[in-house]
Amino acid sequence: MSAKTVLILAPTLVSVFLVQSYFWVPTFDDQVRGDPDRLTRYIESSIGDASILNPTLSADSASSEIGGLVFEGLIDRNRDLSFRGRLAESWRIFEEAYLAVDETQRFPDGTPVGAEALRRRLEGARAANHPSLKLVERIDVEPATRVVEQVEEKPAAKGEPAKTAEVTLRRPPRLKFVLREVDQDFFTKLDRLLDGYVGRLRPARGLDPALAARLKERAAELLPATEHNPVILFQLRQGVRFHDGHAFDAGDVKFTYETIVDPRNLSPRVPDFEPVKSVETEGPSAVRVTYKRLFQPGFESWGMGILPEHRLSPDALRAEARALGRDPNRFAVRDSQFNRNPIGTGPFRFVEWKTDQYIRLARNDGYWEGPPNFREYLYRIIPDPLTTELTFYAGTTDEYTAQPHQVERLRQDPRFMQFSGLALGYTYIGYNLRRTPFRDVRVRMALGMAINAQEIISYVLYGQAERTSGPYPKQTDFYDPTVQPLPYDPKGALRLLEEAGYRKNGEGWLEKDGKPLAFTLITNSGNDIRRAVMAIAQNAWRRLGIKVETLSLEWAVFISERVNKADFDALVLGWSMGLDADIYQIFHSSQTGPFQLNFVDYRNPAADELLVRIRQEYDPARQVAMARELHRLIAREQPYTFLFVGKWTALFDRKITRQVRNPDGSLRYAAIVPTKLGSPKFDFNQWIKVPRPVDTPVHAAQ
Amino acid sequence: MLAFLLRTVWKKLWTLFFVSLISFGVVYLAPGQPSQIDPMNPRFTPQQLERYRKAFGLDQPLHVQYARFYTQLVTGELRSFKDNQPVLGKIVERTLNSLPLFLVGTVLVWCYAFPLGIATAVKRNTLFDRYTTVLVFALISIPGFYLAYLAMIFVVDTFRVDVIGLRTFGREGAGWLYGAMDRTWHLVLPSLLGAVAGIAVLSRYVRSQMLEVISADYVRTARSRGLDEDQVLYRHALRNGLLPFVTMLGLLIPGLIGGSVIFETIFAWPGIGRLGYEAILSRDYPVVIALNFVAAVLTLSGTLLSDVLYMVVDPRIRL
Repeated sequence: MSAKTVLILAPTLVSVFLVQSYFWVPTFDDQVRGDPDRLTRYIESSIGDASILNPTLSADSASSEIGGLVFEGLIDRNRDLSFRGRLAESWRIFEEAYLAVDETQRFPDGTPVGAEALRRRLEGARAANHPSLKLVERIDVEPATRVVEQVEEKPAAKGEPAKTAEVTLRRPPRLKFVLREVDQDFFTKLDRLLDGYVGRLRPARGLDPALAARLKERAAELLPATEHNPVILFQLRQGVRFHDGHAFDAGDVKFTYETIVDPRNLSPRVPDFEPVKSVETEGPSAVRVTYKRLFQPGFESWGMGILPEHRLSPDALRAEARALGRDPNRFAVRDSQFNRNPIGTGPFRFVEWKTDQYIRLARNDGYWEGPPNFREYLYRIIPDPLTTELTFYAGTTDEYTAQPHQVERLRQDPRFMQFSGLALGYTYIGYNLRRTPFRDVRVRMALGMAINAQEIISYVLYGQAERTSGPYPKQTDFYDPTVQPLPYDPKGALRLLEEAGYRKNGEGWLEKDGKPLAFTLITNSGNDIRRAVMAIAQNAWRRLGIKVETLSLEWAVFISERVNKADFDALVLGWSMGLDADIYQIFHSSQTGPFQLNFVDYRNPAADELLVRIRQEYDPARQVAMARELHRLIAREQPYTFLFVGKWTALFDRKITRQVRNPDGSLRYAAIVPTKLGSPKFDFNQWIKVPRPVDTPVHAAQ
Repeated sequence: MLAFLLRTVWKKLWTLFFVSLISFGVVYLAPGQPSQIDPMNPRFTPQQLERYRKAFGLDQPLHVQYARFYTQLVTGELRSFKDNQPVLGKIVERTLNSLPLFLVGTVLVWCYAFPLGIATAVKRNTLFDRYTTVLVFALISIPGFYLAYLAMIFVVDTFRVDVIGLRTFGREGAGWLYGAMDRTWHLVLPSLLGAVAGIAVLSRYVRSQMLEVISADYVRTARSRGLDEDQVLYRHALRNGLLPFVTMLGLLIPGLIGGSVIFETIFAWPGIGRLGYEAILSRDYPVVIALNFVAAVLTLSGTLLSDVLYMVVDPRIRL
């Protein structure tokens, strides 16, 4: 064969071979080409890979998503966002409260206070149906005891590690109250009943004088005069098994808690469980969780996936370490192969994980609520948004979250069905209240009124957002819908600034006492929407006569050099939030230090009190009332200009439908009904794919 | 010859040492801190953050970290921050994934560039040559990622068929022939687009090399002996014209890592380039530094190989 023939034949043959392969691959409309099982698989895509498939150790959204299918918590949220039992069948929340007996005090009639005397006195009042004691179920006396506590001492010099010392404390006798419900005002009421006895208590009374001096600041924590201990009693579901067949019981719940709080495991969930005092099993199917203090948001953390104790207990870990030839003493949960081969009780069991490619789950045929319809769940990793979109059009992923500018176009497409909802969180401009111009609420109000947020929504977000007026997600009951967002009113803004003492100078800039109103607005680079908001705000404020400069900084620099050091005038940022009412860390005046989240330095005693009372309130109605009051207060004070909440739209292949079993055992297709947040996946276990779209009663489109 | 080899290897080892120092240092100059947790997590204290830094040895002096790092890399103990898997194993696995893409890409480059280069040289100054020149320069100038996106959107919109990843995702039930053809189909776009720039550039080299050879004295001699044109071009001219390209083989090796970052990311190809890209984004220091080191090793061995090849093919510079 001559060189010429080779030169012509080689590229031709290569081309022909490559191109003919097209006829072997499936298309969107013919997804079963070569493989009918495609209809029993659900494929979801993600920008990033999971990192560790252990719910106690993972912190990224991909890991939590997989964790949510493989593992199951004690509780989760219902379609209407109320709590629903999963591994827990039911639960009861009550309170154990402790009151120190101070034997140096006297009753109003002159007799000295004693534990038994105090108890009799209170029992008497209870028998007389005194309103302060109406929640009390029983009162017991706890004799004085010695307790050994680990105390972290302050380091002698800066930079040295904190030392822990063991101290023995003498605890005075206490009265223990069991309350039917949690009541954060119990001791206030008791104080009225006991003529100010509670108010006169001092925490340090049980400390030795030598210790008292050293541990003065810790006294209230070590030996509090009064203590609220909320208790959750979970009744567990029976007959549930882990994917390896081992039965689930209360020991697994206790073990999961212990894994989280064990410092060797470096769990990112420690803060959620730090307020827990103890977790005890009461037989194989009940767990009793006692909290150190009132902390209502803690309840939601029991939605955390439960680990199998038999796989990760110290004995199991030692055996695994020996099998792997590693040092058993240094082998912790984080080192276990379990984190890449998880076993849970959830509707899907883990099959395999190829890093940065996909994670494969198969349905759990023994799931207590009945097995899901899909036989397999695949989670594929696609780092690029356009690529994600194209795989959706090709039928190799079943779900796609549309970009704002695509929503209008894709909504019309007959190939897809769509669901939408508001994001949990909001974008805002925060003002550094440590700096002069922003201390005046009129200035903050004026800055907010100068910005046309509706314009941002229409032009930057293509209409895919809504205005918001305060610090809570709009879908929750905590958000007060009567509070209106600031109106767009540049003239009014100018009037407010004039009221605050600013006048236009010869060049048209606003100034006060000869100093122009000038500041810098910053945000992080890499977020085009925030950059656009920054430019629009700058333009609006310059038109008022304010000299505004803007700057966008790399995320790490932005956080460490500017936000954490409180070195900024104003910034564009967003919060993503949970569904609980606790926003203590964002607005409480104790949270204004470096690395804390109230970096705008918002301080208001009324807000502080509300923030504390909200996280201590276990009654939903009262909590909602206080949260709405807080919302109104913050809206009046405008430490942030609250701009908008983004709206998401998720698209699905229309060939996906919901298949449910009738009482007579036959199957029928049903409509997919989204949750209060708009998410359609509440009934995911009933979903299935069919070769051609079927007509179901149209889902509740929003 | 042996002395020359030893000398070259010795020099390259020194270069490697400095590369290892610099790549280790540069990563530490970048802003931000590596960790497995989000520093913005509201319920996190600086003390807890500190505990993480300690657990991963990030609080020790740099030279200690340096020594520990490379010891662990060589012994295979080094683990990724991101998923706690051994770095070496990850690199090997990903290299194997990148290999078909790299091979098919290289085959395409060499299959198309030579005929194209020779044809334009032989038919120089004809209309064909001019159009090809414009096209080739256009392909050199258009950024590869842009072309890749255009091609992807066109193919998916027109044929509604998958082009992403190693194979059509979620199709394990298909027979082996379907599977093999599926993998082939998925190689087409990324390897072709990865090859486009290579074809364009290489064909220009081939063209100028051929032009030079065609006007050489021995070619005229061959013609004057009455040999037919094909014999002259493909026996006498081409052989000498190919000589410089043999050495290019060695320089291709580092392309296994560097050349594929963009296309692997766009096509979600789980290869070595994407591993590096993602490691940088997630500040996965062990992987970033290890890959940097491997890239240096490949580049240096590539140049070594091309030095040796040159000596083998061209007797004039044999030592």
